[in-house]
Amino acid sequence: MNKFGKTLFGALLSLAFVLPAQAETLMMATTTSTDNSGLLDFLAPTFKADTGIDLKWVAVGTGKALEIAKNCDADVLLVHAPAVEKKFVADGFGVDRRQIMYNDFVIIGPKADPAKIAGKSTADALKGIYDAKAVFVSRGDKSGTHNAEKKLWKANNLTPDQEKFYVSAGQGMMATINIAAEKGGYTLTDRATWIKFAAKQGDANPLAIVVEGDKALFNQYSVMTTNPARCSNVKVELAKQFEDWWVDPKTQKRIGEYTLEGKQLFFPNAGK
Amino acid sequence: MNYFTNGFLTAADLLLNMDKATFSAVEATLSSTTIALICAMILGLPLGFLIGYTNFPGKRLARLISDTLLAFPTVLIGLLVYIFITHRGPLGHMGLLFTIPGMAIGQTILALPIIVSWTAQAIENLDPRCRQTLLTLGASPMQTALHTIREVRYDLGMVCVTAFGRVVTEVGVAMMLGGNIRYHTRTMTTAISLETSKGEFAQGIALGLVLLGIAFIVNAALTWLRHKGRV
Amino acid sequence: MSQIFEIRELRKEYGGLLALDLPELDVASGDLVSLVGRNGSGKSTLLRMLAFLEKPSSGLLNYLGGPEPRREVTLLLQNPYLLKCSVFDNVTLGLCLRGDRENLPARYAEAMRAAGFADPQAMASRYSSQLSGGERQRISLASRIILKPRVLLLDEPTAHVDAASERMILDTVRACLGQGTTVICATHDRQLFSDFPTVREVELRRV
Repeated sequence: MNKFGKTLFGALLSLAFVLPAQAETLMMATTTSTDNSGLLDFLAPTFKADTGIDLKWVAVGTGKALEIAKNCDADVLLVHAPAVEKKFVADGFGVDRRQIMYNDFVIIGPKADPAKIAGKSTADALKGIYDAKAVFVSRGDKSGTHNAEKKLWKANNLTPDQEKFYVSAGQGMMATINIAAEKGGYTLTDRATWIKFAAKQGDANPLAIVVEGDKALFNQYSVMTTNPARCSNVKVELAKQFEDWWVDPKTQKRIGEYTLEGKQLFFPNAGK
Repeated sequence: MNYFTNGFLTAADLLLNMDKATFSAVEATLSSTTIALICAMILGLPLGFLIGYTNFPGKRLARLISDTLLAFPTVLIGLLVYIFITHRGPLGHMGLLFTIPGMAIGQTILALPIIVSWTAQAIENLDPRCRQTLLTLGASPMQTALHTIREVRYDLGMVCVTAFGRVVTEVGVAMMLGGNIRYHTRTMTTAISLETSKGEFAQGIALGLVLLGIAFIVNAALTWLRHKGRV
Repeated sequence: MSQIFEIRELRKEYGGLLALDLPELDVASGDLVSLVGRNGSGKSTLLRMLAFLEKPSSGLLNYLGGPEPRREVTLLLQNPYLLKCSVFDNVTLGLCLRGDRENLPARYAEAMRAAGFADPQAMASRYSSQLSGGERQRISLASRIILKPRVLLLDEPTAHVDAASERMILDTVRACLGQGTTVICATHDRQLFSDFPTVREVELRRV
């Protein structure tokens, strides 16, 4: 039974190595767009250098990110669904919400543009899709983008959810764009994911931007701290440093410096 | 389809240059599955042996439960463990969610029924003459039990290797409980699903190749054990 | 000669079906008993009870030998089983189970020669799958006689082996008897022990 003893010893040893690796780390729940765009990979080393804190993040839809914070499983949040966030704070789940930056959504669709909406306003474009019964692929995953999309339909008194042309993907942004490309449909996407998609497709890209630059497509990102009054495990001190760091002019400048395929993706607007 | 060739070229590059993200995913996978497998073996081998070797009231029920759990959907395991180890759950104070030990808990539960049921099966399939032979050679009950285990050692090896293969290729539990945090809990399978969702196929292919390599080793081990077990 | 087994009104039932009904049998130490009877007369059942693998349903079965019956009586199963280890380990297993590890190679060689193997060393590291049926039978026999048992129980030891192996097995039995071992052997072949000076034939009636 000597072998068995050795195995057991090895198991305990490996546990001992794994468990204490939790010094000075901050757990953030964020949205897939910040992670997939590469922004976090760009900023995290600076954060570590400035504060000494190791930032770990789970990248999920905004809905799931808020849920994780509700369960006290994350210290801080970086999300983009202002209305939902305000309710989250009002309900006592989060504190210290600060706006830090924005990017914008674009509506993309087949190059042939079957609904004839290119260059129109967001409102007219949505009406055009609805009336033409053109395929529209929705994220359908309670993410920030999904929330923004639902808000846009609602603002124009349209209820496409039950319609046949409305496809609810239930997946991330890149997967959703892929579905739109396969089905020849329209979708709402953040610009970062679109740029990545377009760069990969090159000339063979079946999709193109049809609507952009409309105020209604403005996408605000904010940071928040999980309410320590509800969740005693929240690292309040580190969270404070985290929030201060995001609104620091140095960081704000750096956000503006991040580019993908030569294009700026995020526009800092802390305190504005 | 230059997705494909590009993917493979970049994959080779990542592997040959020991890319940090790629290897940390391999490391996270191996450490969580090793912990999970060891825990599942410590719990499952004795339990499976008891079910297969002895007669006790409720033995059939225990076997039935274990066999049923073989079909446990991994996302359901993930969800149940999540409920237990989230900070608002009963084990929340231990801070296990989004850590390697947290993932290992779910993977242990995934591996346990495989080890219990198949160990019991291996013991039950053993020729009854083995026990009689040991008894006629004067073995005590304890010696009979120990030599019975020795007799199925290759089968038990196969059981553990199979459980390892199941756990290492699983994605639902690792995603839900580990959270796919880069350099921490991003495993090979969660990285593949993440990279694919980002449209980055190269790292997915690189990790897929490593997984295939592991699957090859696992199957080579199984073949060897099957061969050894036939003597 | 002292008595080693005393049997009175021995019955064995399996799920209500009577498998053996033996009114009386006494076996003296050093006897050779040939157990005959048709299929289903309970020969194997009786041997298993004599080897303490099974308990009688009713009646008396007394072992009158030494203090450790389970280690003094051994049974060679009809279709012997070799464990998944080398021939050497199989043959010396019983001794190891008794914690008796003295001089194993020499005792192994002695037992194997007694079972008719001219070159025990050549067999030592072989495995079950590399052996013929007759060799398996004789190796199992060697694993029993190495224990120097008081009672050797044999269940159809020559049923599935060739003539040469049968001769070797009978020689082994003869050698055991010469050392004072009691041998009880179930067989279909009433002529099996025709060359032996004293053999007691016990016929079991079908129940």
